[in-house]
Amino acid sequence: MAARKSGGRFSAISGIWEETGPTSRFLIGTLIIAAIGLIGLTPKTLFGTQLVWPYATFVAAIGWGRSGLGFRPMAVLALFGFAQDVSAYAPLGCFGFINLAAYGGSALVARAFDRDRAPLITTIAPVLLYAIAFLLVWMFASFSGNHIVQVAPLLNVFVVTYILHILIAPVFDLGRRVGPLAGNMS
Amino acid sequence: MARMRMKRVKARPVRRYALLVALVALFAILLAQTSPRLRAWIDPARTVAADQLASSARPGLWDQITGKAARDARIRELEAEVRELTRYRSVAISMAARLEAYEDMLNIMGEPPVRGVTARITSETNGPFREAILVNAGSLQGVEQGAYAENEGGLVGRVVQLGERSSRVLLVTDFNSRVPVMGEASGMRAILFGDRDDLGTLTDLPERGSFIVGERVLTSGEGGVFPRGIVVGEVVERGNDLRVDFGMTRGRGGFVRLMPSMKIPAPEEFPAEEEATPEAGDEQAAGPQTETASSSPEAAPSSNPGGG
Repeated sequence: MAARKSGGRFSAISGIWEETGPTSRFLIGTLIIAAIGLIGLTPKTLFGTQLVWPYATFVAAIGWGRSGLGFRPMAVLALFGFAQDVSAYAPLGCFGFINLAAYGGSALVARAFDRDRAPLITTIAPVLLYAIAFLLVWMFASFSGNHIVQVAPLLNVFVVTYILHILIAPVFDLGRRVGPLAGNMS
Repeated sequence: MARMRMKRVKARPVRRYALLVALVALFAILLAQTSPRLRAWIDPARTVAADQLASSARPGLWDQITGKAARDARIRELEAEVRELTRYRSVAISMAARLEAYEDMLNIMGEPPVRGVTARITSETNGPFREAILVNAGSLQGVEQGAYAENEGGLVGRVVQLGERSSRVLLVTDFNSRVPVMGEASGMRAILFGDRDDLGTLTDLPERGSFIVGERVLTSGEGGVFPRGIVVGEVVERGNDLRVDFGMTRGRGGFVRLMPSMKIPAPEEFPAEEEATPEAGDEQAAGPQTETASSSPEAAPSSNPGGG
């Protein structure tokens, strides 16, 4: 009975979420990222691994990218990027560039593949996109510091970010579906 | 339908171009920072932004909720205090060495070795009638009747009840407590007792002179319970009265050190033995003129002038 009750409650929340428009979803996602980073609502470490602000935005970038390109996400990601640069002592523009690259990559994957029919793509694509994003972080950090930075900490946060992605990625679904254009061109 | 599709096809490239432009612009910003001159312009603004946004000194909301921010602040405060004390310690070591050298030169009778027992406060009685604490050390641990207690802030009180494994210490903040004190700078003497507002009241003040606001109040050693020179507190001004802010309230570690009281025997208890041999008398007469105490520290219990 209790399970049915909780299931009903969950479906009600799910129903409300289904009816929420892209703008509201976008605002909610923005607020979550701002909350994680600026206000510091999350614990700083998780099992000894630092769950830091700079990488939470990657989840938003890849999540929003699945709904195609848009001006508002781009602007927000660029702005968050500057905040990330300041908080992570990275060169200005570094995280904005990586955020937008991840966002563009995610949009490209969403447009190129029919994700509803290829769950493998849905699983593998974020891993690849995070890998590219963290590779860019490593490259920029190495160039900026004039030495090869350690890979192990980045691998740790890569895993943590992917776990975060599994947990909160649905929140960054703006509800728009993009994909290959329908119809026979021939 | 065809119109809508055209609209979509037209709209997408604009966003794509916007993304490309943004990427190029951000990369240009990155490259621009390789120039030291541009970096010199950017860095101050960046420092200000970092201070506002990501300064480690600004605790997050979560840290404030969990109390981590307060703990961190306390740790920083204690670290600063440790640094300060380390500096003082090195000064104190050099001064102690110098003092030892002077004492050797003057042949001054030294202080007896410090003995004491550190005990944990097991309960406190801060009732309206009496302020006392119970500590987990008694006669079996070497606590003596009349011992006094101190903590990192200063004098705490004196043992009024001694058991085998515990002792009751009457706090100096109690109304019934009477501590002979003196001002560190002014040298004024008075009797201090606790009052209802957690501040000490000075009584039996001399007619002339006054304590100085802000000076430390030390035990004067009169009365024979407390040795001279233990910090009791600091003189503060409340209204038109000079009161004493007790130092013990700053030490909240939960431990006190119980020290034996300074007992100086009366001369008649240990009369000096008259030596009739002329050789000994000659030797005594030829002794150093600067000698102020004739015996070694082990021979006499104490010569603390204010310890009575």
